[in-house]
Amino acid sequence: MSAQLPANGLRIRRASASATPAPGIREGPEYAKLVDISRCIGCKGCEVACKEWNELGIEPTANFGSYQSHQDLGPNTWLLMRFTESEVDGQLNWLIKKDACLHCEEPGCLLACPAPGAIVQYENGIVDFNQANCIGCQLCVSGCPFDIPRFSTETRKVYKCNMCIDRVEAGLEPACAKTCPTNAIAWGTKEDMVRLAEQKVEGLRARGLANAMLYDPPGVGGTHMMYVVPHGDQLEQYDLPADPTAGAGALALLGTVRKLGASALGLGILAAGLHYLGFGPQAPEEDGK
Amino acid sequence: MKHSGIQRFTFVERVVHWVVGLSFLFLLLTGLAFSHPRLYWLTTFAGGGPTARWLHPWVGVAFSISFVAMFLIWLRDMRVDADDRAWLRAIRHYAVHDKAKVPPAGKYNAGQKMFFWTMTLLGVAYLVSGLPIWMPAGILGIGPFYGGVVNVMRLVHYLATIGGGLFLIVHVYLGTVAYPGTIGAMLHGRVTRAWAKMHHARWEG
Ligand code: HEM
Ligand code: SF4
Repeated sequence: MSAQLPANGLRIRRASASATPAPGIREGPEYAKLVDISRCIGCKGCEVACKEWNELGIEPTANFGSYQSHQDLGPNTWLLMRFTESEVDGQLNWLIKKDACLHCEEPGCLLACPAPGAIVQYENGIVDFNQANCIGCQLCVSGCPFDIPRFSTETRKVYKCNMCIDRVEAGLEPACAKTCPTNAIAWGTKEDMVRLAEQKVEGLRARGLANAMLYDPPGVGGTHMMYVVPHGDQLEQYDLPADPTAGAGALALLGTVRKLGASALGLGILAAGLHYLGFGPQAPEEDGK
Repeated sequence: MKHSGIQRFTFVERVVHWVVGLSFLFLLLTGLAFSHPRLYWLTTFAGGGPTARWLHPWVGVAFSISFVAMFLIWLRDMRVDADDRAWLRAIRHYAVHDKAKVPPAGKYNAGQKMFFWTMTLLGVAYLVSGLPIWMPAGILGIGPFYGGVVNVMRLVHYLATIGGGLFLIVHVYLGTVAYPGTIGAMLHGRVTRAWAKMHHARWEG
């Protein structure tokens, strides 16, 4: 664990590239944000609130034939309302997705990160980037199953939503939840939010949306930003992976090989030393001493 | 000291070899630092984490270019022939310094040739796997590589590193303490006649 952790290091449950346990010792509730897509009217007030609270500045954009403000997330655009038009049973469907970090319980970004303490997870479940420790390798982007972190070519660091950790630490809800005019964004303990989501899903099903579901994917241990998805059968239209995983596949294998790798080199050096002790140097005869 | 003897490597050969060797060592140590939290302190010698990360791929470029030069200079001498196959069959005698049972070698013995060819393959592996990790957004219209490609390439890059590291240990051990008189070939370029007779009898006679 590196020395440069955020000031609230006592709440850190997990830190990237850390050989020793994280210092977290305090106990507190796990929080979650619940985004009810069925209640969203696409006003993008949350986008503005995010920019404002986090002082992220304006990112110039151009009309590209969509209601969407920007084409993509960026180092200073941590939240983007994505609008997708799709056809369901011959009817136009306007899908809206609040695209931002899901704050995975098993964060693929953190597991992929080689820099000690550059990515941390607090005991309340929020995943935060600590840019002071970031080495700008972008491996977190490849580790994230949701394609969230964005690299700044200017600072050579990565950025993403930090769930307004500075507000949460002070007992406030994230800025987006605070500003939402339709209460589509709820904030509370993970337990309460799952319960609320179940009620919402039931209500939607009663209204005829048979595929309504809670998006809290188990492959990443669940998330601390969950969605109530009215069209659960159209996850790919929302760009939501049906079964995301963290640190699986090649990365899991890499973790296993690493356990042997450095030891193999150490044993190699040891073997050379033993060979020298056993067989000694071989100098040409007439070389003289 | 030893300004007599036989010339084994030219000035250019020595410079190229040191660029390859020192850049490889730098890449090995910073690469291990990125792979093992307990070795992260090695980045200190490269100017700290962000600087080490910035330098690593550029030193990789220097490594690749100098390796190509070394490859071209030595290629002709590195062809494996029937004598080499005989030498390889006797490698266990070589390993315990049982000289009498090892067929005489030319300018390079078969072990050195194997090292040359293995490092050539690994050199390609470092470059091919390193580039997508370096430029995940893509380059020259190829890419982007975010996600699976980068993660698989990290695995390849790491495996190649451990392989190369093990060979490097053997190479440095044999070239320094195990066979006194050898390092001079890479410092001032000369070896003694006795050294040549002992290690490379079919070379220079
Ligand atoms: C030949 C050109 C090379 C290029 C372009 C290259 C590029 C890179 C890049 C961009 C990274 C990512 C660093 C990070 O952020 O973690 C990396 C990692 C690494 N490099 Fe290289 N490299 C090269 C050669 C080498 C060599 C020769 C070695 C070893 C002798 C090496 C060993 C490593 C290791 C062990 C890692 C960490 C792997 C991981 O955990 O992802 N590299 N390389
Ligand atoms: S959504 Fe991506 S960036 Fe956010 S915690 Fe999960 S893996 Fe990390």
